[in-house]
Order: sequence, then structure tokens, then C-alpha cells
Amino acid sequence: MRAKASRLLPVGIAAMLTTLVVVFYYPVGSVLGSAISAGGRLTLDPLVAVLGDPFYTGSAHSLVTAPASLPGRFVAWVNAGMPAVDFGLFGFTAYQALLSTIVSVGVGLPGAYLLARFEFPGREFLRSVTILPFVMPSILVAVGFLAMFGRTGVVNDLLATVGLGPVNVVFTLEIVILAHAFYNAPLVTRLVTAAWESVDTRSVETARTLGAPPLRAFRDVTLPQLVPAILTASVLTFIFTFLSFPIVLALGGLQLATVEVWLFARVQNLELVEAATLGAIETALSLGLIYIYLRFEATQISTHGQGQLRSRLPLFAGWRSMLDPRRLGVFLYCLVAAVLFVGPLVSLVVESLTTPNGAFTLDYYAFLLAQQASAAVGTINPLAAIINSLLFGLGALALALPMGVLVSVVATHEGSGSRFAEALLTAPLAVSGIVLGLGMLRTLVFGTTVFGHRLTVTGPIAIVAAHAIAAYPFVTRNVTPALSGIDDRLVDAARALGADRPTVLVDIELPLIAPALIAGAAFAFAISIGEFDSTVLLAEGVDSATMPVALERYTANRSLGPNLGPATAMGTVLLAVTTGSFMLIDRTGRRWER
Amino acid sequence: MNRRTFLRHGVGSVAGLAALSGCIGTPGDSGQTLTVAAYSSFTGDGTAGNWLKSAFESENPETTVTFQTTENGVNEFIQRRSQGAPIDADLFVGLNTGELVRADQQLDDSLFAASGDRIDGSETVKSALDFDPAGRVVPYDTGYISLVYDAEEVDEPATFDTLLKPQYENELLTQNAEGSDPGRAFLLWTINQKGPDGYLDYWSQLTDNGIQILSDWGTAYEAYQDEEASMVVSYSTDQVYYHGDDVDISRHQVGFLNDQGYANPEGMAQFADADNPELAREFMSFMLSEKAQAEIATRNVQFPAVEGVDPGGDFGEFALEPPEAVTYSYDDLVGNVGGWIDDWARQIVSN
Repeated sequence: MRAKASRLLPVGIAAMLTTLVVVFYYPVGSVLGSAISAGGRLTLDPLVAVLGDPFYTGSAHSLVTAPASLPGRFVAWVNAGMPAVDFGLFGFTAYQALLSTIVSVGVGLPGAYLLARFEFPGREFLRSVTILPFVMPSILVAVGFLAMFGRTGVVNDLLATVGLGPVNVVFTLEIVILAHAFYNAPLVTRLVTAAWESVDTRSVETARTLGAPPLRAFRDVTLPQLVPAILTASVLTFIFTFLSFPIVLALGGLQLATVEVWLFARVQNLELVEAATLGAIETALSLGLIYIYLRFEATQISTHGQGQLRSRLPLFAGWRSMLDPRRLGVFLYCLVAAVLFVGPLVSLVVESLTTPNGAFTLDYYAFLLAQQASAAVGTINPLAAIINSLLFGLGALALALPMGVLVSVVATHEGSGSRFAEALLTAPLAVSGIVLGLGMLRTLVFGTTVFGHRLTVTGPIAIVAAHAIAAYPFVTRNVTPALSGIDDRLVDAARALGADRPTVLVDIELPLIAPALIAGAAFAFAISIGEFDSTVLLAEGVDSATMPVALERYTANRSLGPNLGPATAMGTVLLAVTTGSFMLIDRTGRRWER
Repeated sequence: MNRRTFLRHGVGSVAGLAALSGCIGTPGDSGQTLTVAAYSSFTGDGTAGNWLKSAFESENPETTVTFQTTENGVNEFIQRRSQGAPIDADLFVGLNTGELVRADQQLDDSLFAASGDRIDGSETVKSALDFDPAGRVVPYDTGYISLVYDAEEVDEPATFDTLLKPQYENELLTQNAEGSDPGRAFLLWTINQKGPDGYLDYWSQLTDNGIQILSDWGTAYEAYQDEEASMVVSYSTDQVYYHGDDVDISRHQVGFLNDQGYANPEGMAQFADADNPELAREFMSFMLSEKAQAEIATRNVQFPAVEGVDPGGDFGEFALEPPEAVTYSYDDLVGNVGGWIDDWARQIVSN
């Protein structure tokens, strides 16, 4: 029995690598390869062309075109009083990603504090729905943001009632950053909440007993245990916003284009070598960042014992408690969160019930029912899309959880190269969605001829595999810090008592890191539900359409005139279905945790 | 997906690998099945595509029409051809001039067959819309790009130069010419007016006056409806959707700059290696019939390509045609359009 079970791990890893190669590395490699090879020979020409173009790299282009001139230029720049330097499209993209990360962390951290440290009615619900923004298609986020922050939006109406405003943020960098925070602050909140909830109360209490004031105890005991989660969330946010695409053009306009926007245009013009080169540079930068971070993380994680979890403070404890500065801060934060997160989502629901003239209507839901009733060729039934989304989501969850845990096991293995291996295995986070989509089209969808037969990889199983691959790095990023935090002595004791590695993993380690697993599962599900690019490519006709695909099709439907009404109705359905699913995942997870 | 298409596309499954589904292509029995490749919104409940399918099938009872929709439009077929992947369709519907230029530029042999003069009715197509000198693509409808503006907020902008005046500052929304049809048409229109040497200068003035370039028509129109600006680049058919007592018609005024509209004809063409070339030509001919032209016009909310067709109904009453239609021909665009758009985008992004 033991010998058999211990073989499970290598078999699992082999199955996972095969899937990864077929659905990820091969498609991506087929595109990115043209950045460094031409006619079967290695070449640096495309890279030099991009890096040496001031449009892409600004002042840094001379690193490639005239490296010898650099010292002279540097001296001239210092003599000129060190004016702002332009680093081109890549520079701007990194700049907006940095700002977006700072804002996302700033908005996300207080949320984690609220959820981890306070008890109040609806806390579990709130925690379950934190990652709702993750599944929202950008076109609907744009609708919600215009309704909230637009010229005639809710915020300006509110400001006007107190004699302020109007504030014009639409088509500015500010609103793009806000939208990035809408997507990514929940990521920060969710990751950090999971870490905060596993902080051992005994260590905090020991510090307090030894005379440390609360702030000091937080700084010296709690914070170090949160740092890995905060940094993970920051790195992920930076990469996501660095690769940001549709929301930029929907709210900011072409003047604020990112590299990914430019890459997409190159693909549409079939300038594929330039597109591949941009994608390769993006991936190299993202993977480099992940690798540096993982090296750092390995030195950071302190073993924390498996003691009691801290009890939460009641948020409401009589009227006097409302004057407590911590609670005041929390309430102020709730106000900000209501405007930034609840506002756009509620606006979306309101839009789904409003005609362009502002009158109440149920037409958009009647549209959904009509689509459901229609048997016409090429029509996407909303109910079928809901069921597909849920099935694919469950399938992706079932695949991504073991995959993510496997990678975490590899990553926490003491050994040279394990961080490098994890960085490589985290690549699905670091590759442009457009590059992956193009690669899938050219390999899996077009197919290849094997022994006279055309072999293609499409349909539901391919979709689930693609979703699982997009999702498992989120499981890993939740699980690795938790797993490496487990006291080695527990594992050693179990092994000494005769348990093999898989048994230790399943019986000892996984139950100990339940909060991280649940968070990972929720992310995996969310990624699958929200995924659009691969799904639409791999779906064979309308039969494998998911909710986002249905929604996109309804945006192009003009039967109710040129408006996004039907799409907002489908978006509301998407919100409702996803909310229910998240609550179910959390509830199921917590039952297992106990 | 019905049984026929299931066989036709040769969907099978490969056992073995853990997470794979596979398809094995087998040379299917094409019989009387016509496969029409189109963008995804061409088919579905109430669309022009579905009307054409049922009308064509009822006139030709032995024929089945199936749709092969793609998210990437003609690009998918250009890439299939250049990679040697099969093209399992007989004709492509929904091609514009720029896309044809791109297809020809990417491929050594044409993706499409020359069939124009062998299609009954092709001689009735308005000659101004005919954009393929090689006679492969036959236009079946056209839109006219124009401005839609709010007459309560701004006066009608009569010319391109008036758009630079202070009263229109931050009031114009358009779309990215690199990815959006109306956005590209508007850019080409400005090049048509200001010349290839002058348009970049004109656009830097437009940018100074606060023009916003959003991703696509839907996003821009949504922002217009939310009153983020008083003018949006759109289609001259706007009032087909918006008319009647409960509509504030002042918000749906159509403005023809310089009394012009930029025509963006949509065409259809038979694939060079179609299995059923004759059937494809019959279908194209059917699309040019008066009845089909009227149906396509009302369902796509685009103007008929055939001379003298009146679609009637709301379309006939409320769709506005520009006094003068301008458009670039294939020969004008070939060798130029890529550079024009690239230079423009670089100027906007670098700003």
C-alpha cells in the first residue's frame, strides 16, 4: 500500500506536466518562438528592433542602439538637473501598474483587517463575495464605472448636494487606476485575510503579556506573518495591471494604451513577429519579477505553530465603541468600499432595469427569456450558459486544486532550483492572454496532421483544462506560504510513525492550511467563471458557451436598439450565480475545516 | 450542433491523455451542405443570417446552410491558409476593404476566388460600393459613418475644421482605428479630407481639443448615452433605433461633416478552395435579391448594396443617407493603410 501511494505524487506531477505542455507551453511557445527565431535560426533582430525603438522603451532605447553613448548621456542628464525621463510604452505601462498596485494594496489591506479582526453580521457573506469583481467582464465594469464616476454619475450627484464638484475622472489615468483597484484590491483582501486568520493568537498574546503595546505587537508579531501574503498580492497585482488590456481602452482611451493594448492591435494586423516580441518581453519581465519575489519569500516565511486562532472583536459594541478610532477608521473605509466596489456593481443591476431614457423596464430580462425560448441556430440560451459555466467551474476547481497543491509541494521542497521550478510553473500568470489565445488558435484549434488525421484539441474538456491552468497558480500562491509555515516537526513525527508523503499531505498538512485552500478554491472557480478568451476559442459553436460568452454575444445584439441592456441583465445573472457559488464554496470548505 | 455538422467537422475523441478532447478530421460527405463563415453576431435569433438560412433552404429544399462563426473574423482564415490548416467553409460573409487588403498582403495566393461576374445580380450592386478590383468580393450592404450629436449641447459641426473650435472641446468620442470599424472609417475619412501628409497634424489638433479614442463602438456609444460627451462617431442609421414620442430626438441628431458620410461596405466572397463553389455563388446571388436585400438591411440596420431597393418600415423612414458618400478604394488602401494607421496610433499613444 505504502509503495503504491508514494507513486501517486510522481504520477500526478507527470499528468499535470502533460496537460501544461499541451494546453499551455506548446501554444504559447509556438507564438513566442518567433520572437527569437526566424526560418529555424536563432535571431535577436526582433528583440533589438523593439528594445531599440524609442516608442517602446523611450530613453532606454540607446541601451540597445548606442550603449557606448550612455555614460555621456547620463552626465548630460545629471547636468540638466535630472529631468523626468520617458521610458516609452513599456515605461508608461510599468508606471501605471506601479500606481495601480499601490492603490490596490492601500484599498485592499483595510478590508483584510476588517474581515480578519472584526465580527459582525454578514461577515462571512462579505468574505465570500470579496472576489466577485474578478469575474466581471470589463465591458460591464466600464458601464458600472461610468454610472458611478461619470460626468452625470452618482458620485458627482452626491458631491453636488454638498456643493462640491463636479469631478471629471472619466478618460483619465485616475479612473483606470481605480478600475484596476476594483479588480485587484479584492485579491489583496482575500489573500491577506487568509493569512491574518491563521496568525496564532498565542504569539500575539505572549507579546502583549511581555508588555508590548497593541501597535508594537502588531508590528513585531502579526505583520511579519502577513508580509508574504501582502507581497504575493502586490506582485500579482503588478503583473495583472502590467498586462491590463480591455479596461484601459474602455475607460481611459488610446492615449493611455498599455503594451498589451498595442500587442492586441499588432495581432489584429497580423504583425505576428512584433506581437510575439512584445509578448516575450512582457513574459520575461513578469517571470523575472515572480522569480525575484519567490527567492525573497523563501527567506521570509517563519514557521508558525498551529495554535488557536484569535477571536474577533465585535464591530458594534454599544454606542461608545463607535468613537473608538479603530472602528471609526473601519467605518470610513466601509464608505470608500461602498463607492468603489458596491457602487459599480449596484449601478450595473440598476442599468439592467432602466431604459436609456431612465424609465423602469423589464425588457432586458424578457430578452433573456426570449433567448432561452428560441431554438434558432446560433442562439445562446442563458440557462445553458449558466450550466456550462458552473460545470466548467467545478471541473476547473477539481483540476486546479490538486495541481496547485502539487506545485506548492514542489516549491516548498528544500532543494536547489525549486524556486526556479515554481517560477516556471507560475508562468500562466505571466503570459499575455492575447498571446495564449493566439497560440491556442494556431495549435489546438487549427490542429495538426497525425498519421493522416487532423488532430485538434477543442471542446468542453479542453476548456476545463485551459481554465484549470489559468487558475492553479492562484491555488499555489495561496497554499505555498501556508504550507511552508507548517512546523516541520509535525511532518517529521508523522513520517517517523510510518506515514508516507501523500498521507502526510492529505491527513496532516492540508487540514492545517484549510483557509488557504478554500481561498485558492474560490479563486480557481472565479477564474474559470470569468474566463473569456480561451473559452470562446475552444468552444465548438454555441453549445459550450459560458456566461461571459453569452454576455459578449448579447452586447452585439441590436434587437432592443444599440444599448448594453441585455448584457447588463446577463451580467446581473452572472453576479447572482457567482455570489451563490462563492457562498457554497466557502460553506463547504468551512464544514471540512471543522 | 446537429448530426451533419458533427460529421462534417469530424469531431471525434481521442482516449488516453488525461485532459484532452480531440477531433479527427475525416473527409466528410459535403453533399448539399453550404457552410457560411461569418462573424458571430451574424447568426442567432432574428438575425439576417438566420433569415437567409431559412429562406434559402425553403427555396432549395435539398440544401442545408450551416454557419461557421469566428471571433477573429477573416484573420482566422488568413492564418489557416498560411499555416496549411483546413478551411471548412464555402464562403465568407462580412468582409470590408481593409480586411481584403490585409488578406492579400499576407498571402501569396488569394484566399478568395474571382466570381463576381458569375454571380447573378452582381451587376445591380451600386458601383460606388464595389471595392474589389479583382472581382472576388461582392458588397451586400453598407453603413455610412457619421457623427451622432446632442443638439441641445452643441451646434451641428458642419466641417472637420469646426471640430477644432473651443466649443467642441472634450465633446467628441471616437474609436480605436486599430480595432474598430467605425473608428477606422473615421480615421480614413480624415485622411481623405486632410491628405496623407496633413492628417497627423489635424489629429494632433483634435487631440489638443480633447477627442477621446475608446476601444469600440459599443463602449463609445455607452459613454455618449451617459453624457460623457455630446458627439460620438457612429452610423447614420441612429434614428432607426431612436424615434417616436418617448425619445428625445435632439440627442440623436446625425451630423454629416462636409455633407459627407464615409461608406464602409460589407462584402462576401467565395473561398478559393470551397467544396461547393456553385452553391456558394447561388447563395451570394440570393443575398443580392431584392427581398433578401430588404431583409438584410432591416436586420443588420445597414443600407442595401443593390440599387433601388427600399427596405421600407422604420429603416426606410428613419435611416439617413449622406448627401455625398466617400470611401477609399482597394487600390488607394493597398500599401498605404497599414502605415497610415500605425503612424496615427503611435502619435496618439506617444502624446
